[in-house]
Amino acid sequence: MKAFIYSFQSVFRSLWHEKWINLLTILSVSIGLSLVTSFILLTINMDSVIQRWAKNFGLVVYLKENVSAAEEASLKNLFSRDSDIIEVKYISKELALKELRATLGANELILEGLNGNPLPSSYELTLKSNLLDPERVKRKASLIQHMTGVEEVQYGEKWLSSLYTISKTMKVGSIIVGGAIFIAITFITYSTIKIFFYRRKEEIETLKLLGATRIFIRLPFLLEGFIIGLLGGIVSSLVIFGIFSFTSLRVIEFLPSVRLFMASFPYQVYIIVPLAGAAVSVIGSLIAVGKIRY
Amino acid sequence: MIEFSSVTKYYEDDAVLKDVTFTIDKGELAFITGPSGAGKTTLLKLIYCDERPDKGQIIVAGWDIGKLKQKTIPFLRRNVGIVFQDFRLLSNRTVFDNVALALRIHYMNTSTIREDVTAVLKEVKLGHKANTYPQHLSGGEQQRVVIARAMVSKPTVLLADEPTGNLDIDNSQIIMGLFREINARGTTVLIATHNHGLFHGTGRRVFFIKDHSIEKEVIG
Repeated sequence: MKAFIYSFQSVFRSLWHEKWINLLTILSVSIGLSLVTSFILLTINMDSVIQRWAKNFGLVVYLKENVSAAEEASLKNLFSRDSDIIEVKYISKELALKELRATLGANELILEGLNGNPLPSSYELTLKSNLLDPERVKRKASLIQHMTGVEEVQYGEKWLSSLYTISKTMKVGSIIVGGAIFIAITFITYSTIKIFFYRRKEEIETLKLLGATRIFIRLPFLLEGFIIGLLGGIVSSLVIFGIFSFTSLRVIEFLPSVRLFMASFPYQVYIIVPLAGAAVSVIGSLIAVGKIRY
Repeated sequence: MIEFSSVTKYYEDDAVLKDVTFTIDKGELAFITGPSGAGKTTLLKLIYCDERPDKGQIIVAGWDIGKLKQKTIPFLRRNVGIVFQDFRLLSNRTVFDNVALALRIHYMNTSTIREDVTAVLKEVKLGHKANTYPQHLSGGEQQRVVIARAMVSKPTVLLADEPTGNLDIDNSQIIMGLFREINARGTTVLIATHNHGLFHGTGRRVFFIKDHSIEKEVIG
């Protein structure tokens, strides 16, 4: 505890003494964190849109013309027990024709010449939205295709594939951009703390000769890195909140459709971003201080 | 308190100390002398573990220097006060803060630090210079600050490397007087100097180093 009190005194002295370089570092850290957070929020919003679209995604299982009632019931039973399927809806031949008539509206006359009902009965299956991996859906469709009584399975294969690619690209992009910026932040803090460390080299050498422990020498630098990262994170979360509020209030006014895309602002940002900034800065400081040898 | 047993130290391929053996007893004040480059500073560095012996054994206040782990070195140094010829005072700190540094590393509370530092500065006759920066002091005063810094944590051993090297006769006498006072309180004091005037007539043991070995031991 006393180590922390002493170190904090030393840190506040250094923060004030080296205020310009500290301010510059805090701003650099906050810019970096703002970019990462913006990218992550964009990804979250895109993901939210995708999930929203995906909610209506399903497989249509067309049944054979001569399917028996027992086969229909058996299929229904299989679908209901499948944990990947959240909703099973049966569309009889009659209902299918009725829906087609309703869809055609005034053009239903084109159905006048038909002998009987040519439409097959079917099952509409809604899948869990978090399971919408094209390969998985393809396997599932293939499995159903081979079931007794099934004529054909249809789903938006290309649409699903595109959606999945967009979502995956955004996530991978977030990781790459986030990783690169985190490395940059680490380097920024590393450079600042390294400068402070060199400036105090004479003092450190004296402290070592007087019998100061490694933690006594290191702690002020690590705390300084922590505070720089924390302040950078706080500034960043305020900036992000400002941008988000501006987008919500102003842009929606002119482009109401944006509202559909926007996920609500995750308030965990206020905690996660400053802590992430602090953690990354402490790593930079640790590397800068390195091993203390006597 | 300090035991050297057949200690040899190389810098690259050159031996700076060869087969050095001597003992300094607890509470003793002794001198090491010899020409420049004889190995006096290296010998002191071995005592406070700034260097390690290549051969032989060194025991300081019960610590085996050759076997000391890195993390243990600070605890040895807290028992060994060091007075340097080049002072090693921090120019951006006042006299008070320079001396207080030796106590801050022990995480002592502020009031104890204030009391102890004030007392020790009075002892070295620098109480009135507590808020002065080292660069505004004379050489003798700066050396007294260094002694105060070494004394304040009450070490069991005090090492001094050419403590009067940059001082005139009067200041040298003052510094020597301080060392005698510190020794009188029970601290073991070892002074490395090439100035024979410092130990003449003191009645203390003097170790002569020549050609990197202890040549002889005499009473000063």
